[in-house]
Amino acid sequence: MEIAGIFKYLYEQLQATGLPQNWVDLISLLAACFMIFGFLALVVLFFVWWERKVSAHFQQRLGPMRTGWHGWFQTIADSIKLLTKEDITPKAVDRPVFYWAPIVAFTAAFAPYVVIPFAKDLIVSDLNIGILFVLAITTFTVISMLMAGWGSNNKYALLGGMRSAAQVVSYEVPMVVSVLAVIVFVGSLSMVDIVTAQQQIYQWFIFRMPFGPIAFVIYLIAATAETNRAPFDLPEAEQELVAGFNIEYSGMKWSVFFLAEYINLFTVSAIGATLFLGGWQGPFLPSWMWFLGKTLFLVFVFMWFRWTYPRLRVDHLMEFSWKVLIPVGFANLIVAGLMKYSGWFNW
Amino acid sequence: MKKLIDAIKNLFVGLGVTAKHLPRKHITLQYPDERWPMPERSRGIVVLLSDKETGELNCTACLLCMRSCPTAAIRIEHEKDEKGKRTLKEFTVDNTICCFCGICEEACKFDAIKLAPKYEFATYNKEDLIWTTKKLQEMGRDVPYEVTRKKKGEEKAKPEAKPAVPKTEEKPAEAKAENPVPAEPPQVSDNKEEGK
Amino acid sequence: MDTKELRTEEFTINMGPHHPSTHGVCRFKLTMDGEVIVRAEPVIGYLHRALEKICENRTFPQCIPVMDRFEYCTSMSCNMVFALAVEKLAGIQVPERAEYLRVIMLELNRIASHLIWYGTTCLDLGALTPFLYAFREREDILDLFEMTCGQRLTYNYIRIGGVSRDIPEPFVPKARKFLDEFDARVDDYEALLNGNPIFITRNKDVGVMSKELALQYGVSGPALRASGVRFDLRRDDPYGIYDRFKFNIPVYHNGDCLDRYLVRMQEMRESAKIVRQALEQMPEGEIATKISPVFKAKEGEIYSRIENSRGEMGVYIKADGKEKKPYRVKMRGGSFNQLQVMPHLVVGHKIADVVAIMASLDIIMPEVDR
Repeated sequence: MEIAGIFKYLYEQLQATGLPQNWVDLISLLAACFMIFGFLALVVLFFVWWERKVSAHFQQRLGPMRTGWHGWFQTIADSIKLLTKEDITPKAVDRPVFYWAPIVAFTAAFAPYVVIPFAKDLIVSDLNIGILFVLAITTFTVISMLMAGWGSNNKYALLGGMRSAAQVVSYEVPMVVSVLAVIVFVGSLSMVDIVTAQQQIYQWFIFRMPFGPIAFVIYLIAATAETNRAPFDLPEAEQELVAGFNIEYSGMKWSVFFLAEYINLFTVSAIGATLFLGGWQGPFLPSWMWFLGKTLFLVFVFMWFRWTYPRLRVDHLMEFSWKVLIPVGFANLIVAGLMKYSGWFNW
Repeated sequence: MKKLIDAIKNLFVGLGVTAKHLPRKHITLQYPDERWPMPERSRGIVVLLSDKETGELNCTACLLCMRSCPTAAIRIEHEKDEKGKRTLKEFTVDNTICCFCGICEEACKFDAIKLAPKYEFATYNKEDLIWTTKKLQEMGRDVPYEVTRKKKGEEKAKPEAKPAVPKTEEKPAEAKAENPVPAEPPQVSDNKEEGK
Repeated sequence: MDTKELRTEEFTINMGPHHPSTHGVCRFKLTMDGEVIVRAEPVIGYLHRALEKICENRTFPQCIPVMDRFEYCTSMSCNMVFALAVEKLAGIQVPERAEYLRVIMLELNRIASHLIWYGTTCLDLGALTPFLYAFREREDILDLFEMTCGQRLTYNYIRIGGVSRDIPEPFVPKARKFLDEFDARVDDYEALLNGNPIFITRNKDVGVMSKELALQYGVSGPALRASGVRFDLRRDDPYGIYDRFKFNIPVYHNGDCLDRYLVRMQEMRESAKIVRQALEQMPEGEIATKISPVFKAKEGEIYSRIENSRGEMGVYIKADGKEKKPYRVKMRGGSFNQLQVMPHLVVGHKIADVVAIMASLDIIMPEVDR
């Protein structure tokens, strides 16, 4: 069963009411916004619970068990607690910067969903610069972290903010380079075009030898760094910087950062699934199931990394990006270009 | 190059170790619902033991435990009854300073005090942690104990008391022996068993 | 680039006393240039409990529970070192079985302590899962301790003249089962970290302590052995019955965090070996020489030392022969020296390395502050 049909039907019903076209567009866009918002909130609730469960079982624990079946209600209880908590603003903070940082973080996390194809024909807006838009807008996260780090007026927060700036900026490059390899091959920036280019399983970019898997691995590593997850969670490295850039945040404002972090996790997984794992393409099951399944698999891989590896040191992190990932990424890009140009393996 | 391959291989080995643990059974318990069985020697709260038959305290107010306590958590008030024997008036254990070392239990020659394998006694008030005779006795009611160190007269009592360690606290009432206690000679309490 | 022209401003950062990875309440005043440490100054005393003074007001047997608090990761060693000192001072003979029980407990406690170190090291380096694995094994050891002496942390087990209680029936089979599984578990730990490139780059050539520096500061234990000095009190100044067991003393020569890690990992295996031998050879018999709770030691002074999991642990006792209390007690913990050497190790490293170095030295604050 395809979800897109339902939305199409609703849209047609809206048109049938006789409202002017621009009103219909506005209403449908707003509805889409709220739907994505609701969907993301659910996703985050699920991810937080899931991560706790996954980490618990990696460690032979049980994780949350009390609230609801296997503690599924735990995140909701936690978020109620966070929302009702006192909103503390330390005296010495730079107020505007301090207040705006979570909002910027949230916006940057939320915006990419405009161009992510959730299922067959289900996309808010098929921008012709789709992937470029995603890459551009997710980078705003670093601004929010810098703002948080700077505005908190705390040395640990400042160190965290600076680390995040350095880290996200340097890992943006290999990420773009790895994505470029795919773009070169498809010849389009549109997410829909990228998905359509991977109709059969052997056409998925992860299986396109030799550049596909390498690009995928680079993307995976860079994405882990982009989302500030362990082993690249330096900006908030608990054991070094206590909580890094969000050390002075609490309650609601902190939870917005937390929300943004998990939305970002979903974003990079969704893009990874779209670019390398064929997006919503797949046999038998409905397309949205394929999309969600692939995305959740990538999320699980990210969690697996997090609960296995120790954290990198900040200088190794930089070296790894500039000395390993970027040269390899560029070499990979050249290979992809040559393949495209020569027509080898061009199935 | 070999190093690089090794490094990548080891990254996957690490992932393998965590993956191996993923399906394993959990080793933790859902605490208030499930509990680990406490070993019988476990040193939890201090309780006063009562005679298994009469239900009266074994304590003779000999003050041995009070003197041996390294943190002075035990306070004993005693008085003389009409026969001139020392009896227990009030036995106080301050759980806020008790260090659960178990020395009082070892010092006691009358099976009167024991560190029971119970451990939940958090309260909202500090004052509630100072336990008096009544509370201590109540906590000790269901604590099983072996009647090992019978009071003085151990040599004489040995043949019957040692081998089987009967559940009841039957002791030759007239067993008499020298007093092994260096300080205060413990007087007979109103307990069933009596020495001297 | 000439760094003199592009000088950045230094700033001070306060690491601790409430910091997730200072293992208790240690505080570091770090002068930093960006992320690089220029100067480090440890500030101690947040956990000072005046244990030495408390001991002066306790009878000798009453001191043992106080010693439990000296270094709570290896309380058995603390009991042991005090009991050893008093036994030497008063000339008390310890029964054979008690000696074996002591060795078993000490070595199990060493493993437990190293497991804490392993877990917290991984935690400090950002790997959260190994911590839980290490504590799973530690739990087994604590179960053994609890069934023997009744406590999981402050054992009060090794007493003057012997031990407080004989081991219960199920102890030996349970201990054997644990030891059999333990090697495989250590293999797991090593698989998780030993080859991991992230772990190696975080630890290799970080916090290099030269032999000379280590000796100058009186560093002892695994940290010293990682710097290439083969010194282990169990072999060089055997106390108890350690001269009866066969075990290796792992020694590494670089003196960096990785070597300290490797030394400790191997020590766990060696300790398991010792426990196995001790379980094998243990005779039946008495477990303690009876002493009076108010006995008086002869006038004199004594220093006894044992090899703890964090280095040389010593206790100095002076008795005046009149009181039933020690006249003066002085404790020595290995962590104190290791904390003092830290400022030399961290200079020029990143803030993340401070955490790694501190973890690798296995500093525990109660031993420093007492």
